[in-house]
Amino acid sequence: MRSKVAQRLEQKVPADTKIFIAKYADIVVRINELIREKGYSQKNLAENLGKKPSEISKWLNSEHNFTLRSLAKLEAELGEEIINVPQRRKLSASPSKSFTVTVHTNLVNRNTTFKSASIEKVEPQVQVA
Amino acid sequence: MNNFALEIWDDEGAACTLYSVRWEELEESETDRFFNRFTEDPENEYYQAALELFELISVPIKNKYGATNDFINRHEKRAQALPPRPNNKIEEIAILGVNFPLRVFCYRINTEILVLFNGGIKSALTAQDSPDLKPKFNEAQEFAKRIEAALRAGLIEIDNQKRSLTDGANTTDIYL
Repeated sequence: MRSKVAQRLEQKVPADTKIFIAKYADIVVRINELIREKGYSQKNLAENLGKKPSEISKWLNSEHNFTLRSLAKLEAELGEEIINVPQRRKLSASPSKSFTVTVHTNLVNRNTTFKSASIEKVEPQVQVA
Repeated sequence: MNNFALEIWDDEGAACTLYSVRWEELEESETDRFFNRFTEDPENEYYQAALELFELISVPIKNKYGATNDFINRHEKRAQALPPRPNNKIEEIAILGVNFPLRVFCYRINTEILVLFNGGIKSALTAQDSPDLKPKFNEAQEFAKRIEAALRAGLIEIDNQKRSLTDGANTTDIYL
């Protein structure tokens, strides 16, 4: 069951607004989740991001957009990804040949450098009825 | 205050059922009236803001996350309002909450059931100081009070399995 107004509005929302709201909500939820997980207080985080308490009231009275730089600062401070851009090139392999995929993992511990690993192809399991 | 019906506004979401309220003597729900007011004419100054609010309710809240604290954090006495408050310590997530010109009042029963009311134009620091919003703010307080009392008295119950409200009469509209 759905209000007719809701049905009508769904058709009216432009594609860019849909994308904006979806990404806005995902980023808000993700940042809140990371703040909780990492045990930050909002004040702590603001300070660690180099924001002075006096700047807070300024933020309240002006409009800000996410910028790649501000998100990068947050990712660096929280130590985890907030946004993830899909890679354009997809891996593919012929089923008859073996293949190796090398995974590079950037570990959270900043003293650790990149690590590589190999993954062996595993034959798919077939269930026989 | 006259009687009003608590009715389903949208129960097709994966995360949250949306209710609205409708005055007994009117055909449209208060939430329909709110959105109709700002979206019937694309030239309306608040057309884009209303669509953003609708999209926030219809996708992240209704379909993905539910009425969590991430979104329902603007408390207006007994009721709440959307969009969510900006995080005043973190400018990166202030975007939708700062200077957003519209408010729609609501009452969260739990993260899976949200009742939407009417709203209006926020033109002053508080809802009560905004001439367009004040009457809707007062109405929202009354709606929330009556719903809260009905829940407490057991006149309406939460059906967790169906993610809905019931008055035991198996009807879609609940009169309060």
